[in-house]
Amino acid sequence: MKQSSGLRASLFVATCLAPLSVAAADVSNAMSKFDRAMATFNPLGEHVRKPIERAVPRLTFRGALRQWSDVLIDSDDRVGFREQDFRFLQLQNLLELETFYNFAPGLDLNAVTHAMYDGVYDWQRSGGLFADKLDRTAELYDNSERILREFYLSWRTPGFDLMVGKQQVIWGKMDGQFIDLINGMDRRESVQLESEDFELRRLPTWMVNTTFHFGRNSLQMLYIFDFEQDRQPLPGSPWFSPLIPPTTAASDILLPTKRVESGDFGDHEFGLRLDRSAGALTYGMIYAYMWDKNPVGHAIGTETRGANTLLRLQPRHERLHHVGVTADYATTLQDIPWMGTLPAVFRLEALWTKGVRFADFNKLAAARAGAATDGTAQHDTLRAAVAAEFGLPANTTMILQTSYYHTFGWNPALGFGFGGGFGDEWSLIPLLYLSRPFAFTRDRLSANFTAFPVISGPDNGWQGIKTKLRVRYKFSQFISGQLIYNGYDSGERNDLYGQYDEWDNFGWELSYEF
Amino acid sequence: MNSDAVTRDGSRLARHSLAVCCAVLCGLAAAPQAAEPTWRTVTQLTADERAQFDPDTSAPRDATLPYMPAEAYPFQPPYTAEEMGYRAAEFVHISRWPHSLIDVFGVITSSGYINQGAGVSYVNLQTKPGLEGYVSGVAAGQVYSRWSIYSVFPPETEAEQQLWVPYRTDAKNRTKMDFFVYSPQLRRVRRQPQPRRDQRFPDNAQTFDDVIGRDPWEFDWQLLGTDVVQQTIRFPNTRPTITLNNHESGFVERKTTDIRPMGDDYPHYRPDGGVDCWVVKAVTREDLLPDYNEKTLIYWLDKHYFYPVRMEKYDHEGKLIMIEVRNAALENPAREGFGYSALMTLYWDLEHDIMSYSVHDAHRPHEWTAEEQAMIFTPEFMRRQWLYEPIKSQALIGDPKHYFLRPQLYRERFPDERRIELSPALAARYEAQEAAGQLVFESGDDAAAPAP
Repeated sequence: MKQSSGLRASLFVATCLAPLSVAAADVSNAMSKFDRAMATFNPLGEHVRKPIERAVPRLTFRGALRQWSDVLIDSDDRVGFREQDFRFLQLQNLLELETFYNFAPGLDLNAVTHAMYDGVYDWQRSGGLFADKLDRTAELYDNSERILREFYLSWRTPGFDLMVGKQQVIWGKMDGQFIDLINGMDRRESVQLESEDFELRRLPTWMVNTTFHFGRNSLQMLYIFDFEQDRQPLPGSPWFSPLIPPTTAASDILLPTKRVESGDFGDHEFGLRLDRSAGALTYGMIYAYMWDKNPVGHAIGTETRGANTLLRLQPRHERLHHVGVTADYATTLQDIPWMGTLPAVFRLEALWTKGVRFADFNKLAAARAGAATDGTAQHDTLRAAVAAEFGLPANTTMILQTSYYHTFGWNPALGFGFGGGFGDEWSLIPLLYLSRPFAFTRDRLSANFTAFPVISGPDNGWQGIKTKLRVRYKFSQFISGQLIYNGYDSGERNDLYGQYDEWDNFGWELSYEF
Repeated sequence: MNSDAVTRDGSRLARHSLAVCCAVLCGLAAAPQAAEPTWRTVTQLTADERAQFDPDTSAPRDATLPYMPAEAYPFQPPYTAEEMGYRAAEFVHISRWPHSLIDVFGVITSSGYINQGAGVSYVNLQTKPGLEGYVSGVAAGQVYSRWSIYSVFPPETEAEQQLWVPYRTDAKNRTKMDFFVYSPQLRRVRRQPQPRRDQRFPDNAQTFDDVIGRDPWEFDWQLLGTDVVQQTIRFPNTRPTITLNNHESGFVERKTTDIRPMGDDYPHYRPDGGVDCWVVKAVTREDLLPDYNEKTLIYWLDKHYFYPVRMEKYDHEGKLIMIEVRNAALENPAREGFGYSALMTLYWDLEHDIMSYSVHDAHRPHEWTAEEQAMIFTPEFMRRQWLYEPIKSQALIGDPKHYFLRPQLYRERFPDERRIELSPALAARYEAQEAAGQLVFESGDDAAAPAP
């Protein structure tokens, strides 16, 4: 009897599993056919790129279509001063076209154009999102400045490069920005903006860019005659800080920002960079005479409205001197337990900035009381990072990076300033990054994880942690997709990550390059 | 998506397998009973072969480099197994002379997912050409050569660049290379850790050592015997021609059936077109390669130049894990027998059933001027995004069905030394491919694709 019931159970299980097995085989076969169909799926490459390049042999034409969306895992009606009645943080669609025309060996004209539409303002009902009414480019790139992203003529000889026009110049090799300070940035994603987004978010600038090459050295000189400031999240945009109160009749009077003039030689910017490669060690130094890309309000007077004394604040950019160093060193560590050898790279970057302008709330109070002060203070800052990257078994990469930000002569009345601690004297981010592909998918699936805890002192201590998990799948050599989770946990409501505690989100990205 | 699914699906592959079995049985019945084996063990060597082989395993050592045999390179016959191993180390994946080429490469999975790339490669040497330059022309721990690679396909990696700076290594100096990557997305040159030597590159069957080469002194060498290799890389019947870029005559369409294991200029083909080979076994030395994934390598070396036309890797359990086959060509005639180079290489990873290929198209020996050497082969050069000498290729594969066949298994040869175990699903796919003359994928769709 017992045997018989066991047999019946086995038969029952087998009967149940048989269709599953067949279904699994069907799915597998369908996936297999899908793989082969996708292998050659490149319609824009075949029907647009190839004919254009055939017709104009000196032209290289390529492009990409990208769609990326982030959705809040949960929404709250009210977070700080924000009405968080929306779910989508971005529904962005981007078409990028790149063209390179070769006039002669070493002489090229390069143009990159972008068309971007973000559906968050149209495709969900929200009273809290209205940034598109303040600035149309929050939703759609509708002006030539945004559409024509890069446009420059390049002339290269063995010992000399010259590039003139609108371009991006990237200094630095670390995760985050340390000596990378030439171009402004569209920071609409606030704390979610990361290194892999910089290429699309950087704001190219008109400049003359020359580099001299001699032996293992290179000397780069920049003359920037068109200033581009950072674009911070606008009021009514998904990432606008919930800590910032809305403007009311009792708010101070904010005047238009004093512009940096392109037509005034005295307002132009300059940069120098020297690099040297010496075997396992490479190192370099930079100096730049730039404008702070974020203005600071100067109190230029007061106005009395009712019982309130309001400050008249004029935002101004500050001239800054930057001095920086960069170095990296490679080695293979021997006799490591469990893994034998361990390839490793160590990197260092540091930037010291002189005379960063900060809002000083004690001085602003004094200005409101009638004292002769503009309500600001100048302090030097240091931002630096040390990183170690290891090549672990199973194609696993691990990066440990410690980022450090310091304001010299700090006091609790200071606001935020370039390169300094986050509302504190110093801030520390001990970053951990892990990445690996999965062999069972023939390495088409890969995952990476990053943790960004923030600690500041002497006032704030723990400021929260950001965690990011990204899973990427390669559908073909032209199409890939990603699923991303970003979490912002712990910390106080007024901390760097703590303020975005309700902004945990899940996203996907699809990319087709042709 | 995975190989197990094939066994579950089974039916079509089973039909293929049945057809193959019938064909094999019919073939056995019709074939002459006295078909002579192509391979011989050491005890069965002919008199000529015995005259060429020195069984000594304790040959005198070089006074300054004790890991080298004392006899001057490239040695004189009779050769010890170790000397054969040293001669084979002449022919690494990237030729040991200054040159330029376009490397067209790709991978295919059992489902037909294909991923390809192409990179214009410039190679410079810090010493004289050949293994001799590597061994004695540069001190251990010093830079041996510099390789610059500029990606031109697929669009996702276009303008991505790599700089490989390999070192002369020995037991004490273990760093194989400095490695720099330029990413156009990040617009940054980043120094990267060198890849782990015995680890597959992601989405590839090739390991780092497959590319950069293995030092012969890291192995114990033994002659297994001789063999005749008729074919190395096999094209499918869906791909009758391939267009190759000859640096002198430009694009040339070649019949794939005309492409021979050692190229057109090889003077030592047998009358039946085969290549006479030494079969040599290399066992990793635990003191020099601890925790190395590959325990044993078996090479088929052409008898005259010691060119490795085939190589197999075995793991620590003695199980076959990878087969590499090559079609060579005399790319540097000035170096005569030392001027052969891999025109095409195919790697089959049996564990994951993925196959990678690499075609070195438009190979051109290239003496770089002092100015070019100082300019191109530096990390800073990559930031300039300058494709210094464009090279084109039409060797990319247009359809998964045009992909190369899995290499032959030669199950009957040296059975005591070669443990070949395929999963039932993989065995079925292999047999189905042999019957169809093209790859048969997991869904068993064997309809022939139109010829390219």
